[in-house]
Amino acid sequence: MTTDSSVYNDRVVTVLVVLSLVWAIAGMAAGVFIAAELVWPTIDMGQEWLSYGRVRTLHTNGVIFGFGVSALMATAFYSVQRTSHVTLFAPRLAWFCCIAWNLAVLAGGISLLAGWTSGKEYAELEWPFDIGITVVWLSFAVVFFGTIAKRKVKAIYVSNWFYGALIIVIAMLHVVNSMAIPISIDKSYSLFAGAQDAIVQWWYGHNAVGFLLTGGFLGMLYYFLPKQADRPIWSYRLSIVAFWAFTYSYIWAGPHHLHYNAIPEWVQSLGMVMSIILLAPSWATMVNGVMTVAGAWEKLKTDPAMKFIVLALAFYGLATFEGPMLSIKSVNVVSHFTDWTVGHVHSGALGWNAMITFGTFYFLVPRLVGAELYSVRLANIHFWLALAGTMLYILSMWGAGVSQGLLWLSLDELGELSYGFRDIMASMVPYYALRFVAGAVFLSGAILMFYNFVKTMENRTTVTRRIPEVQVASNAAEAVA
Amino acid sequence: MISVPVAVMMQGNKLFSYLGQETASVGVVVLKDILPLALIPPVFLYIGSTMLGWEIGAEEPIYLSVDVVLLISFCYFFALFVGFIGLAVLLRWMAPTYDANLELNRHLTVVATVATPLVIGSIAHLYPHIFVNMLVIIPALIWSMFLLYRGVPALLDTTPQQGMLMASSLIAIVLVAAVTLLGVTVVLWTHGFGPSLGL
Repeated sequence: MTTDSSVYNDRVVTVLVVLSLVWAIAGMAAGVFIAAELVWPTIDMGQEWLSYGRVRTLHTNGVIFGFGVSALMATAFYSVQRTSHVTLFAPRLAWFCCIAWNLAVLAGGISLLAGWTSGKEYAELEWPFDIGITVVWLSFAVVFFGTIAKRKVKAIYVSNWFYGALIIVIAMLHVVNSMAIPISIDKSYSLFAGAQDAIVQWWYGHNAVGFLLTGGFLGMLYYFLPKQADRPIWSYRLSIVAFWAFTYSYIWAGPHHLHYNAIPEWVQSLGMVMSIILLAPSWATMVNGVMTVAGAWEKLKTDPAMKFIVLALAFYGLATFEGPMLSIKSVNVVSHFTDWTVGHVHSGALGWNAMITFGTFYFLVPRLVGAELYSVRLANIHFWLALAGTMLYILSMWGAGVSQGLLWLSLDELGELSYGFRDIMASMVPYYALRFVAGAVFLSGAILMFYNFVKTMENRTTVTRRIPEVQVASNAAEAVA
Repeated sequence: MISVPVAVMMQGNKLFSYLGQETASVGVVVLKDILPLALIPPVFLYIGSTMLGWEIGAEEPIYLSVDVVLLISFCYFFALFVGFIGLAVLLRWMAPTYDANLELNRHLTVVATVATPLVIGSIAHLYPHIFVNMLVIIPALIWSMFLLYRGVPALLDTTPQQGMLMASSLIAIVLVAAVTLLGVTVVLWTHGFGPSLGL
C-alpha cells in the first residue's frame, strides 16, 4: 500500500478491476443458468437455492453491484486522481471500500441463495447488509470528495460531476428505500406501507438505473472516451448542460414503473412526462460521444477498445429512446409485465453498461500493468460475440414481449380472454431458448476477455506512475485530454 | 449491370468490386434494386397469410380476411420502400461526417446490398409461424451485418475505420426505427386498430 503523495494510488484500481471481472463472469453465468431454467425448469434439481427466484437475484446483484459498482469504483478512483492531479485522499479507506464492498456483495449473494430477501427488486439484501453497504458507500464518498477537495486543478472535470452524482444520489436512495423494522437477523419489514412503499421502491429502482447504470457509467465515458480518442470531448458545454438536465429530470421518472397501479393518476402521468423529457439530455450525451469518436477514427486501427465504446454509444441511443417510449401509458399497457421490459433492460445492461466497461478495461488493464494487451485478435473476437449476443437477446425478447402483450390481452367473440396464461408461457419456450443462446454467446465473449487479461497481467504488478509536477489548467476539458 | 440482390447471390468475393462500378442514376437504382426488394416480402406475406394463417404461438392459427391481408401487405411494401430510401438518405446525410462518397446512388446500393439477405429470409413468411420466421431471420441478419460492415467502407470510398463508425451509426438508427415501429404498432392496437384487446 503506497502512501507516497507523489504517485497515483493505482494498486487498489487494479484489484477492483480484477474483482469486477470475476463478478462479470459469475453474474453473467448465473444469468445464463436462469435463462436455461426457463427452458428446462427441472435443472434446479429440486434444490431451493438453485431455484429461479433465488438465482435471479444473485444474477442481478452480481452484475449490478459486483461487476458494475466495482468497475465504477475502480474507474472513479483512477480518473479522479488524474483529473485532480493528486493522489487519493485516505488511501487506506479506498482499500476498505474495495475489500468491504466485495465481501458485502459476496456474503449478500450467499444470503440471497439462502432465501433471505426484503422482496424489493434490486434492493433484496436484508437489513444487516443494508447497514454495511451504507458504511462502505459513505467511505467511498469520503475518498472521492476528499480527493476532489485537495485537487490542484481548479475546474472539476465533467466525469467527476457524474461520479459525484452517483455517490450522493445512491446514498440517498439506498438509505431511504432500505428503512425497515427488523424482526430477526434475516427478516425486516419496510417502514413504508402499501402504495407509498411502491412509490419509494420505484423512486429507488428507477434512479438506481439512472444514477448508477446511466450516470455512473457516463462518468466512465466522459473520462475514458477523450483519453482513448486523444482529443477533448466534442462539446464540453453540452456535457455540462446534459448533466444538469439529466440530474433534474431523472429523479421524477420512477412512477412509470407503476402505470395503472394503485397510485394517483397524476403521479403516473408526471412520471411519464419526465421520462419523455429525459430523451433530450440522453441523446445530447450520445451525440457528444459520437462526434468525439468521429474525429478520432484513426484510433480504431490500433485500439480494440474503441470499437466497444462505439457500440456502447449505439446501444445507449437505443436504450434511452426505448425507455421513454415504454413509459408512454398506451405503450406500457401492452409492454408491462412482458419480456419486452427484460429486453429493454438488457439492451442497456449488455449493450451499454457491459460494452462501455469492456472498452474501458481494454484501455485500462494494459496501462495499469505497463504491458501490451496479450491478444488484439481475441479482443476483436470478443467484440463480435458481444455484438451478436446483444442483438440476439434484444430480438428474442422483442418477439417474446410483443407476443405476450398481444396474446394475454386478446379477446374472443364472446369478449373473454382468448388464451390462458399457462398456454402463453408454454409458447414462449422457443424465444427463451434463443435468449439462452444469446446469453451464452455474450458470456463466452466475456470469458475470452477474462483469459486475455489474465495473460496480460501474468507475472506483472501495477506500474507506479508519478503525478505530473505542474500542469495548471483552468479548462477542465483540456486538462483531461 | 444486374440487380443488386442477384449480384449478392452470384458474385461471391468479387461482390464489392463489382458493385463499386455501379454508375446508374438514382432513378434506375430505385427501379432495379430497391423496388423489387421492397416487393418480395409483402408478396410472400400475402401468400403465406391467406394460405396458412399466422401462428403466434398459442392455440390455432389466426386467419385474416383477404382484404385485411392485402391492406397489411400494401402497408408492409410501403414501409419497406420508404424505409430503404430513408436509410439511403440518412447514409447520405452522415457521409460528410465520415468522409464518405456523397452520391445517393451509392447509398441506395449499400442499402440494397444489406437488405438482400433479409429479403431472401422473408421466404419464411410463406410459413407464417413467428418462431420459424425468427429462426430464418437470424442467419440472414448475421449475413446482413457482415455485408454492412464490409460494404460501407468498400462502396462509399471511406477508410475501414470510418466505415466501421458509419455502419455502427446505421445499426443504432435501424434499432431505434425498429423499436419505434413496435411502439407505434402497440399505440395503434391500444387505440382500437387491429386485434381486439381487452383494454
